Amino acid sequence: MTVSHILWYYLWLAPKVLQVILLCGMVRRGLHRQFPMFFVYTALQVVQSGVLLVISRSHFGFGEEYFRAYSAATAVSAAVRFGIIHELFSHFFRQYPALVGPGRLLLRGATIALLLVAVGVAVSAPGNSADFLLNVTYALDRIASILQSGLLISLFVFSRYFVLSWRNQVFGIALGLGIFASIELAMSAMRLYGLVSGTVFDFVIMGTYHCCVLIWMFYLALPERVTPHTLNPLPEHNLDIWNRELQRLLQR
Amino acid sequence: MIITTILVLVALLVLSCLLWLARAHASAAKALENPAEHIRAVDIEAFRNLVDPDEEEFLRTNLPPVEFRRIQRERLRAAVEYISCAAHNAAILVRLADAGRRSSDPATAEAAQKLVDNALRLRLYALHAIPRLYLGMILPGSRISPVRIAESYEQMTRLVVLLGCLQYPTRGVSAAL
Repeated sequence: MTVSHILWYYLWLAPKVLQVILLCGMVRRGLHRQFPMFFVYTALQVVQSGVLLVISRSHFGFGEEYFRAYSAATAVSAAVRFGIIHELFSHFFRQYPALVGPGRLLLRGATIALLLVAVGVAVSAPGNSADFLLNVTYALDRIASILQSGLLISLFVFSRYFVLSWRNQVFGIALGLGIFASIELAMSAMRLYGLVSGTVFDFVIMGTYHCCVLIWMFYLALPERVTPHTLNPLPEHNLDIWNRELQRLLQR
Repeated sequence: MIITTILVLVALLVLSCLLWLARAHASAAKALENPAEHIRAVDIEAFRNLVDPDEEEFLRTNLPPVEFRRIQRERLRAAVEYISCAAHNAAILVRLADAGRRSSDPATAEAAQKLVDNALRLRLYALHAIPRLYLGMILPGSRISPVRIAESYEQMTRLVVLLGCLQYPTRGVSAAL
């Protein structure tokens, strides 16, 4: 077994071991009830990897059966990641009832716009693999990456404009997903035109996923941030303005 | 190949945004320490005057068209400045009231929630109003009346005072801020 083989297996399996720890941590802290989709996604990743590992070690090896299972797993993972994004949106806007309407509008508008872009990109892209199933899988994966990174960036920009506070856990999940989606987008685009080999693609994607699992572990382990009350230290001249304004209102 | 380049650039842009946001998230608590230095004064009466349709009509009928367009552009530029200041103050108040929402006192928590909602609404109005005001600068004839900003700002002012009174009942209205 060469070093690259060992590294490849490490990058494949180590994140899954960490995800098992993550699942246990989530159950212990009751986070699986707050983030059910993320919990399902994490569990699914562990199960999928187990199944793929068994197939690869069986007499099928990395043959057609393996790639069928891999394609199905990729499609299911991408679908569940959309569920997580929806979960993040609802988590976020539940705290701010005034933004439920604009938030819903943003989610719908961004999804439609990004879907049009993603489908356009997928249709105009050439297929470099002789296997139809793999071509479709990669095309769908690219569409999913464009949609997911776009939706997450929209959520980040929206929250930035409205100065909304993120809970550590929600921020961590969104950050990990966003990083994974953006790297996957760049790599799949480069792979499409043969700029990177399949091996480099696998290493980068698996390495990124490893980092994302560490990000999720870090943020989910963090305690909830308590924002200090600082309503009283404004300078006097501002108080005068506000008090004058109040008196004028009261005199109406 | 062009599509690949665009996708890679977009992905890198998204990635840098995410890393920047992660840094901003880590330092978010520090930014709240000195809100006083960032509050900007807003004269609501002057703002109302700037966006008053009657005032605009008066100027339109009494000034030559060229002069009216010039003055109207100046007025709208000033209105944009006022709205930006109000939206900026609203952003600070969202951060301040966010902490109050978790207060153990139900009245304080309710007032803080109302203040957050109001400040968010004001920022939403600002998001609608500023592009319309810029459009008004390009087309000085079009009618724009962002009076909801002034109303929302006044309501926000009242809520800040109420929240201050609830949090510091012995220190009077000035304790609001």
